Amino acid sequence: MFEPYKTGHYYDEMLQENGEPKEHYRQFHSVLQRLSEEEFKEKHETAQSSFLRQGITFTVYGEEGGTERTMPFDCVPIIIPADAWETIEKGMKQRVEALNLFLEDIYHDQHILNDGIIPRELVEQNPYYYKQVSGTQFPLKNHIFLAGIDLIRDEQGTYRVLEDNLRNPSGISYVFQNRFVMRQVYPEFFSRHSLCSLEDQITHLQSALLSHIPSNMKKHTEPRAVLLTAGMYNSAYYDHVFLAQQMNIALVEGRDLIVKDNVVYMKTIQGLKRVDIIYRRIDDDFLDPTAFREDSLLGVPGLIDAYKQGNVAILNAVGNGVADDKAMYTYVPDMIRYYLKEEPIIQNVETYILSDPKQREWVLEHLHELVVKNVGASGGYDMLIGPHASEEEIETFRSKILENPKQYIAQPTIKLSRAPVYQQGNFYPCHVDLRVFVMKGEETHVLPGGLSRVALKKGSLVVNSSQGGGGKDTWVLKGVMQHA
Amino acid sequence: MLSRVADALYWMARNGERTENNAHILQVQLVKMLEESGRESVNYQDWQTVIDICGSKSAYEEDYGELRVHKAVDYIAFSNGNSNALTNTLSYVRENARMTRDVIPNELWEVWNDLYLHSQNKGPHTEFSFQDIHSFLRHIKTTSMTSTGIIDSMMSRDLPYHFMKIGQWLERAEKTALIMKVMLQKAKFSDCQSFSEYDGQFALRLVNGYQDYSKKFRLKDPALILQFLISDRTFPRSIYYCIEHVKEVIWKIESEKVAHYSWRMYAALDELIASVEAVCVQQLSFEELEMFIADILNQCIEFGKIFSTTYYLIEADASR
Repeated sequence: MFEPYKTGHYYDEMLQENGEPKEHYRQFHSVLQRLSEEEFKEKHETAQSSFLRQGITFTVYGEEGGTERTMPFDCVPIIIPADAWETIEKGMKQRVEALNLFLEDIYHDQHILNDGIIPRELVEQNPYYYKQVSGTQFPLKNHIFLAGIDLIRDEQGTYRVLEDNLRNPSGISYVFQNRFVMRQVYPEFFSRHSLCSLEDQITHLQSALLSHIPSNMKKHTEPRAVLLTAGMYNSAYYDHVFLAQQMNIALVEGRDLIVKDNVVYMKTIQGLKRVDIIYRRIDDDFLDPTAFREDSLLGVPGLIDAYKQGNVAILNAVGNGVADDKAMYTYVPDMIRYYLKEEPIIQNVETYILSDPKQREWVLEHLHELVVKNVGASGGYDMLIGPHASEEEIETFRSKILENPKQYIAQPTIKLSRAPVYQQGNFYPCHVDLRVFVMKGEETHVLPGGLSRVALKKGSLVVNSSQGGGGKDTWVLKGVMQHA
Repeated sequence: MLSRVADALYWMARNGERTENNAHILQVQLVKMLEESGRESVNYQDWQTVIDICGSKSAYEEDYGELRVHKAVDYIAFSNGNSNALTNTLSYVRENARMTRDVIPNELWEVWNDLYLHSQNKGPHTEFSFQDIHSFLRHIKTTSMTSTGIIDSMMSRDLPYHFMKIGQWLERAEKTALIMKVMLQKAKFSDCQSFSEYDGQFALRLVNGYQDYSKKFRLKDPALILQFLISDRTFPRSIYYCIEHVKEVIWKIESEKVAHYSWRMYAALDELIASVEAVCVQQLSFEELEMFIADILNQCIEFGKIFSTTYYLIEADASR
């Protein structure tokens, strides 16, 4: 029942300009055409209700408190051929390696600032730069246990990095659940495809986690790791439950932990038990009311001191926010050249820095063509999409930029690649991006595929789930294509 | 196991049991009401009894005023103001299950979540037919039974299982005691001023023990019925049976040892078991019986507190 559509000015993941499927989508395309409209409808509903029943939901905050919603799932997978994936994988390892060296450097010797590669004030005046942890011995000298790097493809189909998420990237549970639901509901799609499995990925994640041994931990003991969540009302609670369950570590809240003499304990029915590794999914600001925000009810008083003393590992490390904000993003290619003496494998999207008067002047003249983003915001908030904006919105951003130029960056509006989706009984093309998850412990490992996010509203460019975005399964093909 | 998790498991089980029990009680009364149609005063008293068992009559009157069947059903099933209303206890079960998703079987979460999602379309004071309410009560019953099945067939017999079991047994013991307490109170002010055969049969039905009792005894003698509900060795809803099982589970948690922190639990349980074992209903006056039941209920509640303190659940509770 699938009908080809016009690909237009966009790069399409599945179709060529003539409406024929691309080589790596050919098998899938032929199965797609064999299914009837009724079968599609029924399968679509089964898939959606499966998410709801399992409670795989995220919380959307509105006027009446939070409501739970499922992330809409779309059955057309994003398929990535083996050679393309190999490049992405290398590019991601390179990028995370450089970002980690950067974080280790700025919290210790600051060579990159001393050498003038990155402006000192950009680091030191950054609200996410936490001087409190300078000089700390970070286990494995690793700051990034789990990164989520957002990739897009431009008109030519070239992958580019849109954003680095080095604090608490969420969504990894969806990668597994999307695959699970896909296999349950659309088994016929998998015939004659050989994909990279997700089966052993959790093992990689677990061993990466457990390799972060704090310096004062007793030798030859098993570390006790926990996942620190803000609780069931947090928007990514399902992610936390999933990871704790899969990695077999306790899911704790701040109130379950206590620090005594710079040692962290969890409160159990048999009294206090020492904790060695904390995979935290709450922001730096809320970790410890004695070190950061006093009003934090989520945190654990004294946690940061225990961390600095080497009694507990905190992952991702405290202070990562300085490396993943949208202003620092511009300098990541320089970091790669500086630390690794390599050229970046996956490029950035061109970015204008608005504190630079020349660039700012040009940007202000071209607002209607550009995308403007707040350097500290995420989730698609405080963002201007020039070509889709009203005069009024453009003027609002003009004054925002003039008032606080450091707070904003601008990028050309990229014609994000599209892929077909099936919603409300129809196939139509929507914009997609890809969040790739990188795990780092003693070794660096890239999860094959990742979370493909899709802007389900026709024409929309915002893929964030809080704003109506959905998810797709992502397939990385193994080796050479198999022909029937 | 984290104290907070133990606390959530314990309350999940208690609220699950409470939801099932209250749904059963409402179902019994809805059927009974039809059989008693025409006898308005009997019906009126029965509804008062049921409201007091599943909530409180004064709270009902404050919210709804006069006693009306439709309102009473609304109060027991949907009222926001009644913390023991089915929709409320159900959402506590779901909330606690959600908080402990990483320790309970996925299926257990799914069955309760499914029931919760279904119940979300109904609100207090909205229109509902008796058909709706019957299907809701049936759904609760099958969910609760499925849940029991999942727990028994899938969970290892270790700490999470034990804490859930204690919650379930204790809740059940308290409910059986509460049903007797409320019915004795009502009987005192009734026309015959005693616990009649009629009351006995009603109590059996509310506790869901009518069938089991009938198999064991031919006489529907009120004293015999009360004795059965208090101290039958094999009926899984008698107070004796429930408390005996609480003790068995504690014994397992503590690896069959008594320690400085646990002796108070054992002491409280032994006292409770001894009084339940020793009682002979026939030898007690009405007043003595009333006091005995009230005392048993208090001892159950007291044990719950000692249990919670022993495993630091109180602390977890306070920060909730």
